[in-house]
Amino acid sequence: MREPSRPLDPRAWLVWATAASVPPLVGRNPWPLLATLCAVLGVWGVWSAGAAGARWRPLLRLALLFGAVSVLFNLLTAHVGDLVIAELPEGWPIVGGPLTLNALIYGLLSAIAILSLVAVSATLGATLDWSVAIRLLPERMAPLAVAGSVAWSYLPRTTVALTEIREAQMARGYRPRGLRDAGPLVMPLLAGGLERAMITAEALEARAFGVPLSAEARPRSWQAALLLAGIVAALTGIFCVALGQMLAGAALLALALATLAAGLLSGRPAKGALRRTRYRDPVWERPEWIVSGVSAAVLAVQITLLVLDPAAFRYEPYPSLTAPAIDLPLLAALGFLLAPAAVRP
Amino acid sequence: MTDRAPGVAGDPPIIAFESVTYAYPESAAPALREIDWRVAPGEFVTITGPSGSGKSTLLRCLNGLTPHFSGGTFDGAVTVAGHDTRRYTPRALARVTGFVFQDPEAQFVTSRVDDELAFGMEQLGVPPLTMRKRVEEVLDLLGIAALRDREIATLSGGERQRVAVAAALALQPEILALDEPTSQLDPWGAEEVLAALTRLNDDLGLTIVLAEHRLERVVSHADRLTLLDRAGHIASEGRPRDVLAGADPAILPALLALGRQLDWQPLPLTVKEGRAAQRRDAAVGRLPAPAPPDPPAATGPAIVALQRVSAGWGQRKVLREIDLEVRPGELVALMGRNGSGKTTLLRLVAGLHRPASGRVLLEGADTARLHPADIAQTTGYLPQNPSALFFAETLRDELAFTLKHKRGAVADPEVTLAALGLAHALERNPRDLSGGERERAALAAVLVGAPRVLLLDEPTRGMDAARKRALATTLAQLREEGVAILLATHDVELVAEVATRVVLIGDGRVVADGGPRAVLSGSLTFATAINKLYGGGFLTPDDILAGFGRDRWAGSDSIRADLARDDRITPHRMR
Repeated sequence: MREPSRPLDPRAWLVWATAASVPPLVGRNPWPLLATLCAVLGVWGVWSAGAAGARWRPLLRLALLFGAVSVLFNLLTAHVGDLVIAELPEGWPIVGGPLTLNALIYGLLSAIAILSLVAVSATLGATLDWSVAIRLLPERMAPLAVAGSVAWSYLPRTTVALTEIREAQMARGYRPRGLRDAGPLVMPLLAGGLERAMITAEALEARAFGVPLSAEARPRSWQAALLLAGIVAALTGIFCVALGQMLAGAALLALALATLAAGLLSGRPAKGALRRTRYRDPVWERPEWIVSGVSAAVLAVQITLLVLDPAAFRYEPYPSLTAPAIDLPLLAALGFLLAPAAVRP
Repeated sequence: MTDRAPGVAGDPPIIAFESVTYAYPESAAPALREIDWRVAPGEFVTITGPSGSGKSTLLRCLNGLTPHFSGGTFDGAVTVAGHDTRRYTPRALARVTGFVFQDPEAQFVTSRVDDELAFGMEQLGVPPLTMRKRVEEVLDLLGIAALRDREIATLSGGERQRVAVAAALALQPEILALDEPTSQLDPWGAEEVLAALTRLNDDLGLTIVLAEHRLERVVSHADRLTLLDRAGHIASEGRPRDVLAGADPAILPALLALGRQLDWQPLPLTVKEGRAAQRRDAAVGRLPAPAPPDPPAATGPAIVALQRVSAGWGQRKVLREIDLEVRPGELVALMGRNGSGKTTLLRLVAGLHRPASGRVLLEGADTARLHPADIAQTTGYLPQNPSALFFAETLRDELAFTLKHKRGAVADPEVTLAALGLAHALERNPRDLSGGERERAALAAVLVGAPRVLLLDEPTRGMDAARKRALATTLAQLREEGVAILLATHDVELVAEVATRVVLIGDGRVVADGGPRAVLSGSLTFATAINKLYGGGFLTPDDILAGFGRDRWAGSDSIRADLARDDRITPHRMR
C-alpha cells in the first residue's frame, strides 16, 4: 500500500492535531483529557522512532517539568475549595493559607492539558514534513509558512544549543546545580537564538524568500481587508467558544472560514504572473484518507457536543469537589484519535 | 605554468564598486574604505586579507545584504550585472548573485537535501520539470547525489558545505559569492568543492568571488587575487603570482614562501609548478641536506590515556577500540576525514561524552567517575563552534567566568588576550567579533585557566595566516611549559609546524601514530606541499632552508613583530 518510511501528508496530520487539541483547549473534564492524552501518547509512541523523535523528546520532558510546576503553583497559590489538606501560616506572602485538594486536582488537570498539547506538538514536530506543508499552503501564505517553519525548527535547535552551552560551561569548570543555576543558561541561549535568527533571516533574503510577485498578483486592498476580517472573526469565534457562547462561536468561525477562503482564492495571481512552484507533488493515499476522515469525524462529534452538551468537556473542582460528567460517546470518539498509529506500517 | 587566464577581460564589468565606503551601525571605523573594484564576467576572484579586514562585508555587497540588511552608512555604488544594489533588495538580487555563508548550517531552511536545493527555485517560480533537472545537475556537479534524500541534520560538516554550495548554484546565478567555503572541509572535501567551482567557472563562465584565508588551497584556481588590509582598503590586486610576489611574507602559503626564499622564477602557485622549479635546482646540484629524523618520542607517565575505548552516538559507532597515551609536553595532532571521530575523541577526554566501553584516564583517574567540571580543572576544551563558549557581555567577563570556576594556577587575562592579539577587544562583546577573532577569544577563555591538557577542535578555522603562525608560536610555548595538547585539525601545514606526534584516525581506529615526518611524509592526502616536492622528511619551508644551511624563513619573525606592534605588547610567555 505504501512504503514504510513515507510520512503521512501534513494535511492529514493537521486535521488529527486539530481534533486532538480540542479537549485540552476547551475544558478540564478529566475523562476526555485522559482519553486524549492516552491516544496522543499512543500515536507518539508509534511514530516517534528515530532521530526526529529523539530531537523532540526533551520537549516532552520539559512539559512534564512545567506540569509539575503548575500543580505545585496552583496548590500553593489557589486557596479555594472545600477540602483542605494542609494549612500554611497566613503571614506567608502568596502561599500562606489553606492548601486544598480542589486546587491540587485543578493543577493536575491543567498539567494533563499542557502535556497533551505539547505531546500533539511534539508528534507534529517529529512527523510533519514542513517542506511539504509549506508547499501545500496558498501562495499568499507562503512567507508566513516559511517563517513558521523556521520558528518551529528552532525548538529542537534550542535544545541542542542548551546542551552545547551547558557542556561549554562545564568544560570551563562550572557545575550547574539545578533550577537555581538556570540564570547563566538563559542569556547565552537568548543571545545565540537571536544571532541564529539574524543569520537565518539573511540566508532567506539571499535565497529569494519573499521575492515580490508580478504587479498583477499583488493583493488589492479589499482582499487584504477580507483576510483581516477573517482573522478577526476567527479569533473572536475562538474567544466565544472559550466563554461558552457556542452558537455565536460556531457562527463566527464559519464566517471566518468563508472570509478567509474568499480572500485567499481571490488573491490568486493572474495568468502569466510569477508564481511560486512546487518541487514535490504531495502524496494522498488511503492512510491519509483514513486519518483525515476519522479525525474530521472526531472533530465533528466534539463540535456537536460543544454546542449541545458543553458539560461533556467542562469540569470545575471549585468551590466543591464533585464527580466529573462522563460522556461515553465522546470518550469512544476520542479513542479514534489513535488512527495514525493504526495506519503506520 | 601561467596564471589562469582572466575570464573575459575587457568586457564591461559584471561587478563594479565605485568609491565604496561602508561602516556598520554604531561603528566609528569603516569596514570598507574607498573601494574601487571591478570584476569581468567569467572571472574567478579570490579575496584575502587579515581577520576583520572586510572580506565578508565586501562579499555581502554583492547581493545587497550590505547595506540593506546590515544597515550602517554606505557611500558609493555597487553594480552587479547591471543592477545597482542600492535599488534592489537581496531577495531580488538572488537571481544574479548566489551566496554561500561562512556557516552552512545557519543558512538551511528545510530539513532534506533535495528540498534545500529546490527552496530558492520555488521562490522564483522555476517550473517543476526544470527544477528537478537542476537539482539532479547540481547534485552531480558537487558529487552529492547519494545525499539527495538525506536529512540535513545527519550530514557531516563537509557534506553540509557542499549542499550549501549546491543550493546556491541551483538558482543558476551569474555570480557566485562564497565566504570561506572550505574552512570546515578536510583536504578531499575542499578539493572537490574547488574543482567543482573551477568547472563551473571554466565550462559555464560563472563569475566566482571567494573570500578565503587558506590561500594554499585556492590560489591556483583564481584568475585574480584581491588583498585587503586591516583598515578595509584594497592593498593590492592583480594576477595571484604578481600580488603574492610582492606581498607581506606573513600571508604566504608554504610553497610560495619557499619559492620567494629560493628566488624561484616564476613563483610557483601549484605543487606541479614547484616541482618544475625544484627539478631545475636539482639539475644544477642545488639539493638540501637530508632532513633530520623526528625527535624521539616523549617518555614518562601519560597524563591522558585511552584504553580500548569505543564510543559513538546512539547505534552509530564512531571510535573502536582506541588505545592512545599523551604525555606532558607532547602536541598530538589528530587527523582524519570529516566524521572520522576526532571530535568524539576530544569530548571523551573532556568528559562530555561517555565511552561505550574501555576507559579514559586523566592523570591516572578514570574520567567516568569525574564530573566534567572536575575534569576541567586539568583540561581546557575548545569546541568546534567557539560561540558556544560565550556567555558574558564582555570578553573581560568571559575570562573572569573561567577564572571564577578554576582552582589552582591561572594565567593573567590581559596577557593572555594580548598574546592572542585581542588586547583591543577586552571590553567588547565576544559575539560582536569577527569569525577569526571569535576563535581566538574562545581560545583565550580556555587558556586563561592554565590547563595542563589542552583539547583543541579545529582552532584555525577562519584564522588568517598571521594569526595561525602566532597560534603555532603560542602552542609551542605551552608545549615547552609541559602542557599536553591534543589538536584535531585538517590543517597539515599547521601540524607540520607544531606537532610532535600525529595520529591518523580512519573508520574509528588509529591507522597511524608517529612523528610528523614519519606519518605525513609520502602520504597521498596528508603530505604538505613541501613534502610533495622534496619527499624525505621535509615538511616545512624551514626544513628546506635548514637543509641549504640558510636561516629560518623571515615570515614568522615579521608576523610576530607585526602582531606585537598591533597589540602594543612584546610577545612573551603567558604564564
